[in-house]
Amino acid sequence: MLLAALGLAVAGHAQERRWVVAFANVTEEPGVTLEGTGFTGRDVRASFELAARRFPVDLVYYDNQRDRARTLANAEAAVARRVDLFIEYSRDAAATAEIADRLRAARIPILAVNGPVPGAPLYTVDNLAAGRIAGDALGQFALRSWRGRSTLGVLIGDLGAQALGVPERAQGAREALTRHLPSSRVVTLDTHGNPAQVAPLLGKLLAAQPATKLLIATMDDATALAAKGALESAGRLLDAAIVSQGADPSIHGGINDRREIDPANRGSIVIGSVAFLLDRYGYEVLPLAVRMLRGEAVPARTATRHVLITAANVFREYPPYDMN
Amino acid sequence: MRLKALVMAGAIVVATSSVALAQTDCTKVLPPSPWGPNDQTGATNRVTPAVTKAAAAEIQEGKVVPLSYPLADGVPLFGTRFTKTILTATSLAPGAALGENDLTYMEDTWLSQSHVGTHLDGMGHIGRKDCYYNQIAMGKFINQNSMTKLGLEHLKSFATRGVLIDAVKVLQASGKFKGNSACKKPCLDKGTVLTRADLEAGLKMYNVTLKEGDIVIIHTGWGDLFEQYPAQNALYNSGEPGIGKEAATWLVSQKIVAVGTDTWAVEVIPGEDPKEAFRVHQILLTEAGIHIIENVRTDLMAAEAANTKRATFFFNMTVPRAVGMTGNFVGIDGIR
Repeated sequence: MLLAALGLAVAGHAQERRWVVAFANVTEEPGVTLEGTGFTGRDVRASFELAARRFPVDLVYYDNQRDRARTLANAEAAVARRVDLFIEYSRDAAATAEIADRLRAARIPILAVNGPVPGAPLYTVDNLAAGRIAGDALGQFALRSWRGRSTLGVLIGDLGAQALGVPERAQGAREALTRHLPSSRVVTLDTHGNPAQVAPLLGKLLAAQPATKLLIATMDDATALAAKGALESAGRLLDAAIVSQGADPSIHGGINDRREIDPANRGSIVIGSVAFLLDRYGYEVLPLAVRMLRGEAVPARTATRHVLITAANVFREYPPYDMN
Repeated sequence: MRLKALVMAGAIVVATSSVALAQTDCTKVLPPSPWGPNDQTGATNRVTPAVTKAAAAEIQEGKVVPLSYPLADGVPLFGTRFTKTILTATSLAPGAALGENDLTYMEDTWLSQSHVGTHLDGMGHIGRKDCYYNQIAMGKFINQNSMTKLGLEHLKSFATRGVLIDAVKVLQASGKFKGNSACKKPCLDKGTVLTRADLEAGLKMYNVTLKEGDIVIIHTGWGDLFEQYPAQNALYNSGEPGIGKEAATWLVSQKIVAVGTDTWAVEVIPGEDPKEAFRVHQILLTEAGIHIIENVRTDLMAAEAANTKRATFFFNMTVPRAVGMTGNFVGIDGIR
């Protein structure tokens, strides 16, 4: 009897049922970047495709196309398909509220990504925490390298991008900088999302601060690279340190890419970039989904594990894997 | 007081030095070799005379099936690796022939890294920190030119039985096949994980049971892109289908000698865990002394197996006794 029960248990484990999970991506339009980083919806989708290999799930993909009607239609399609769980990545609060009602009626559990869905667990970026990590890194650098020197904190990027959480990112950086360097001022330079504005804005500031060391918190990696270029043009590379946000592939790469954050480039004034890991979302979100499907409790809110990617840990956090 | 200061200073120097010279305690990082603490050979210890004699029974028709690709400039290469040949043909110039018998000659200069084309990964290729096969802390055993332990000169024979697993057919049969349109013949797409169950299904397909001392060759079809060089080099290099960690661990338990595939790393790329780098290499080479053979031409043997319903052959591979080297290009034939 006991052996039979054990046999059933083993067989049950070996043949765990497969789940059909829908993932509605915010957009898969080429070139459209997400969350104020350089990652695209295709990066997010690819991470789900790769991560799904580790779980007993069959994924069904939808593209919300950043469009309310499409977002609602995708949810209806998932209901019609009787999926076991629906992962919704949308920033449209009105749409997600409607979807919450529709899927609850269909008894399909929801897991939300970045945009809250009423009543559903949320996996989300934590812009405030990410900003603090950047501010901490800059403040610690200044205390280590420029103690007693005149320093100025600079927050630069698309600072008004409320929907992307950039103001929170800037707030976190400001808080941490001020905590480390209470006597240091912090100024803001708003590029309105145009990296071409970095050079003129920063150039003007550099001209006005000829003897000051700048601690530059950039809100994204494109801005960080533009800022470094502006400092280079002004002959002020030695007067600045930069910490960025995103850690997308424009700023770090593989064994042969020789990008800015690279073990062979430890002297760069770009100290690092805070990881947003959109290219790992699948690995972060699917385990939560599987736990929900197995009836286990999951936290109401799970935040991205933001870490500072530097020359010292970039190959540990992002091991290069291809031959190119 | 001064003596105390000197002793303290000495202690600081010793402590600092020990930190600077610290090396990993490899007994805590890797398992020991099953062939003893002095072993530098690895899994070719399994190729005993009895194993080779038994494998010879696989030669039934004398048919030779090539298992290596041509080594030529322009084939896909990992990262900054290169291979370049330069021909010396000066004696073909008028008047440069030697003697009344007009002897002429030509030679090559071969500038190449060793892990190019169809090649063998030796025991010194992959480590964990500074620890390599058989718990060897390699920092003490390398110089500017080569390794002083674990070089290819320590390898024994590869004259054993080869077993082909046709992973394309396995995944087609199970309904899990996902191909890549750039392949001219069916191939598994990059990122496809081959599991233990897939390997067992492939063996069952041809009614084969693995034996100690076998070499396993897996056909994924991805090598079709290698054959199209240089047109598909970027795609070939961007990833590959291959075995996952569970399958690698199972292969270790089968006490084989080597695993080869028609891919550049044998293991699935992108790997199963994005925070791990080439973990299957460590499982096979570093922890178990089992060789990896990359860029193996498998399509001909796969076709042969499909036609004859026999997936075993005599594995004939030449490995240069390259002293202190981590690997080398090889020529392989499967003899039936």
